[in-house]
Amino acid sequence: MSATLSTAESKERLTPVRSGNRSPARRYSTYALRRVAESVLVVLLAYVLVFLVLAAIPGDPVSSQLDNPQNGYNDEEKAQIRSFYGLDQPILVQLALALGNFLRGDLGISLSMSLPVGDLIGTALPSTLVLAGTALVLALLISLALGYLSQRLPTGAANTSVRFLPTVFLSTPNFLIGLILIQVFAVQLRLFNVIDPNGLGSTLFAALTLAIPVSAQIAQVFITALDETAAQDYTEVAVSRGLRPGAVILRHLIRPSLLPTVTVCGLAVGELLGGSLITETIFGRNGIGTVVQKAVSAQDIPVLQATVVFSAVVFVLVNLAIDLIYPLLDPRLRSKEKAA
Amino acid sequence: MTAAILTTDESAGGHQQSDGPNHAGQDISTGSGLRLRGRIPLSVGIAFTVLAIVLAWSLFPDLFTSRNPAAGVPNRKFTSPGLNYWLGTDHLGRDLLARIIHGSASSMTSALIAVTIGVVVGGLMGLVGGYLGGWIDAVLGRVVDVLLAIPSFLLAVIVVTALGYDTRNAAIATGLSAVAVFARLMRSSVLQVRTSVFIEAARVNGGSGIYILFRHILPNAVRPVLSLAVLQFGLAILTIAGLAFLGYGDPPPASDWGLLVADGREHLLHAPWLVIAPGLVIAIVVLAVSRISRWLDQGRNQ
Repeated sequence: MSATLSTAESKERLTPVRSGNRSPARRYSTYALRRVAESVLVVLLAYVLVFLVLAAIPGDPVSSQLDNPQNGYNDEEKAQIRSFYGLDQPILVQLALALGNFLRGDLGISLSMSLPVGDLIGTALPSTLVLAGTALVLALLISLALGYLSQRLPTGAANTSVRFLPTVFLSTPNFLIGLILIQVFAVQLRLFNVIDPNGLGSTLFAALTLAIPVSAQIAQVFITALDETAAQDYTEVAVSRGLRPGAVILRHLIRPSLLPTVTVCGLAVGELLGGSLITETIFGRNGIGTVVQKAVSAQDIPVLQATVVFSAVVFVLVNLAIDLIYPLLDPRLRSKEKAA
Repeated sequence: MTAAILTTDESAGGHQQSDGPNHAGQDISTGSGLRLRGRIPLSVGIAFTVLAIVLAWSLFPDLFTSRNPAAGVPNRKFTSPGLNYWLGTDHLGRDLLARIIHGSASSMTSALIAVTIGVVVGGLMGLVGGYLGGWIDAVLGRVVDVLLAIPSFLLAVIVVTALGYDTRNAAIATGLSAVAVFARLMRSSVLQVRTSVFIEAARVNGGSGIYILFRHILPNAVRPVLSLAVLQFGLAILTIAGLAFLGYGDPPPASDWGLLVADGREHLLHAPWLVIAPGLVIAIVVLAVSRISRWLDQGRNQ
């Protein structure tokens, strides 16, 4: 009944190559190559799209500083500085140059801070990685717990509440979650100190803020998958053999339900990166989200370009990895390949 | 790639949960459009009531509060919620309830704009791609992949930066960041309908491509897209509130819900209601919307 899009479409994904006579290894490598090529294409197109969006920003800090009469640049100096940043070229030429530099790994120079953009990202990255990584672990723990309870609790109010919880998590703005966590746990209970944003307590609660909406997405897919597995004959057999309910869930329900859950975790990466913008602001952390926010207020186009494309690269890489591992994880596909 | 990220968060949210076995047998499907039901679940009734109240706030704010949302009484500043001021007052002595009520029109309109953009642009992309197939579908599919690869909140942030900071532009940015989700769902829905026998019959009868597309395919494929649109309305409220919270919406003294939370943040320590009340209003409205979306969605998958 409530077959998710994810299951339907992951099945489509499990038979990536149509021709049946080639060896499984060859089919897999064809599939892998195609997925890698697609990913590269998506990253390049994302670069172009972001570039075109940012090109629509009226003005930039260089021009506004140059045109300020107090700085006293003469026309020749202005032209020199503009050409240093490549701003005197037509937009398509700028795009081609920027794309070429991007492919060589050069992300350009920040307009507002006169630092290489790569360095800016490198400095901010560890903080965001710690935050997003912790958040992902917390989100997985929360969804595992909700999934287990959704199968373990008898039909009734408690079960309904467990199943309703993801919707509540998804509907609550994450700035509200963050501010309430600070108010309750930092101010009232003094469990952590807001002044030290990188301390253990601050990091945990910031990660929790980010994890709650993400856990909702994962839990929804996980619970649906568990429900579908619970309706299978072998589950009934396991129950009729007298296995305890807890053991049925752990041994027979959770494992087959993990595959669609892995897929949705890949998609959640985007949510983690986008959500870090608000979470880092609330908890005063210096990460990629803060870099984006500063770049937005300074109209620092190279920094925006690099950070947004960087997020897209992370998202594409994680999902590529999941897609490549997926056929190897699923025994159903292996047996299908043996048959073919 | 297309298949790889076919399930987005948004569409996943809408299609998963069945409402448990108790309501399953009572639906009467009328085939297309709205379904008749034996009885509306209590939670759906509450959700509709919540939406009706907010809609009334947006249309006739003065019926619900006589206080001016922009002018405060200075010696009443930071009054806690109570009988006189139900939700308390802010640092200028302005009534928070009045500000929430007067901010609802802007919050609801912008969510509506966002969803309309998503449905129309994304829907057309999915419709054309799914129906025509071939290279057009391939090109549109790549565009969708790219839009999905950029975290949607980041996409909304850079679009609103390019357009300029105000609530209308934040709505447009939110709509554009949701285009891909609609395009994908519409495409897969069209692909399903396209192979139906009645489409073949229409073609045998000599119907032209455009005629079949809009007369036969669109009405039959649009149903899941519409229930996604309801869900996206709720998510758009969240995204727009997030943008307003970061200061990318209308500046004060506007009272968009996200902006109210951002304003209240400075006073979190001694006046927590300034954050909690508008935040909860957002959460309750989004919750109501997603309940209705799930209710509309049930039965489609049964």
